[in-house]
Amino acid sequence: MRYFWLSFKAIFIKDIVTELRAKQVLPTMIVLGMLIVWVMRIVSEASSLSTQMMGPAVLWIAFLFSGLQAQERAFATEEREDCISGLLLAPVDPGTIYIAKFLVNVIMLCVFEIVVVPVVFITFRVGVGDKWIEFITVLLLGNVAISSIGTLFSAMVQLSRSRGALLSILVLVILLPIMLPATFALLLIFGVIPEEFAGSGALAFVGDLKTALGYMIAFDAIFTVACWLLFGFVVQE
Amino acid sequence: MRRLLMFITLALLLTSTWLAFTVGEVVPSEDEKGVTVEKNILYVHVPSAICSTLCFLVLLLTSIAYLVNSKPIFDYIGAASAEAALVFTTVLNLTGCIFSRVFWGPWWTPTPRLLTSAILWFLAVAYLILRAGIQNQRHRARLCAVFGIIAFIDVPMVFISARMMRDMHPANVGFDTAWQGVSFGLSVLSILSLAALFIWLRTDILRSRAQLENEMYS
Repeated sequence: MRYFWLSFKAIFIKDIVTELRAKQVLPTMIVLGMLIVWVMRIVSEASSLSTQMMGPAVLWIAFLFSGLQAQERAFATEEREDCISGLLLAPVDPGTIYIAKFLVNVIMLCVFEIVVVPVVFITFRVGVGDKWIEFITVLLLGNVAISSIGTLFSAMVQLSRSRGALLSILVLVILLPIMLPATFALLLIFGVIPEEFAGSGALAFVGDLKTALGYMIAFDAIFTVACWLLFGFVVQE
Repeated sequence: MRRLLMFITLALLLTSTWLAFTVGEVVPSEDEKGVTVEKNILYVHVPSAICSTLCFLVLLLTSIAYLVNSKPIFDYIGAASAEAALVFTTVLNLTGCIFSRVFWGPWWTPTPRLLTSAILWFLAVAYLILRAGIQNQRHRARLCAVFGIIAFIDVPMVFISARMMRDMHPANVGFDTAWQGVSFGLSVLSILSLAALFIWLRTDILRSRAQLENEMYS
């Protein structure tokens, strides 16, 4: 266990320090996220959709596409100068590498959210009222889902010819099912749908905030464990 | 053996088609006059749904088998079943679109089952794109096996997530006569044997191609 902590800490700190020094990914992510939000805000003005209704969808679109940037970097930097071979030759369990990379991605997305969420609040005129805890929980669960799938597939696509394009296809396909409860949960938290009307009429969603949160927790748990177990097969030579 | 399967598949396909258009024909209710052909689509639509789910199951089993003992044959069977899954989910979605257009109006609408079948199609496509993107045979087989497992875990998650939406899709297939039940059973059997034949043939082709590649580069 102690050995796990030592190797985990080494990889985790290495990745954070590299990002802090190079400042390659976070600025790109944040600017891309803000651009997506603004473009969608302009489009929403032209469409007949209510601005508040679009808020949650825009938030998730921004997270997904900016998250892809962070994940692509996770292993692309290791491929340069063949650092990945060094990492794999070190007496470290592949699962430890996965957990460290995964947590770095979660932290990058958290920093990104701290900047982009207020932008969404201002531009789309939404607020969470007293539901801060639920809001942060939903964002964190979404973060974990995007990062767990993204970290595994980032390692996978390094062996292919078209890295970035392939990564986005694979990650978005697997993440499709969680986007439905995630968007619904944010609609409830923003108060766009009153809780008593959820699931009726045009808001075709059966269940309440608890159902959506339960689904997201199950999704995160299943995929994080599956990806952690399968990571060893992806990187073995 | 393969000729026998070909013969059985052909016989089953012809018999089930003949039955579906004669004694097994689904008679539309009073307010659905003139849509018999569209209603008969269920003889292709439902078997395709069953078949594509089974193809994903085969993909999962062969993926696990490959990761456990690294025999290339499991990789070929997995790839062939993913191709079969793509074919049958395409049929499933296209027949679903025709049905939706006739009975509900729009070509596509996000209801649980339509969403589920669309995501199944995307999963099969993503698997094949990943396969096409990696050249090294061993790497390709290993990564595709990992994706096959993740894709299969995603299938029940899609089912549950889609069930959180309101449904207008007919829940279960009900039959008025015994002949309809017989022709439905036969159509399921014929589509399954067609899929088995397809997987068998494609596995052989993939294996021959891999052998050719090995000989060319060795």
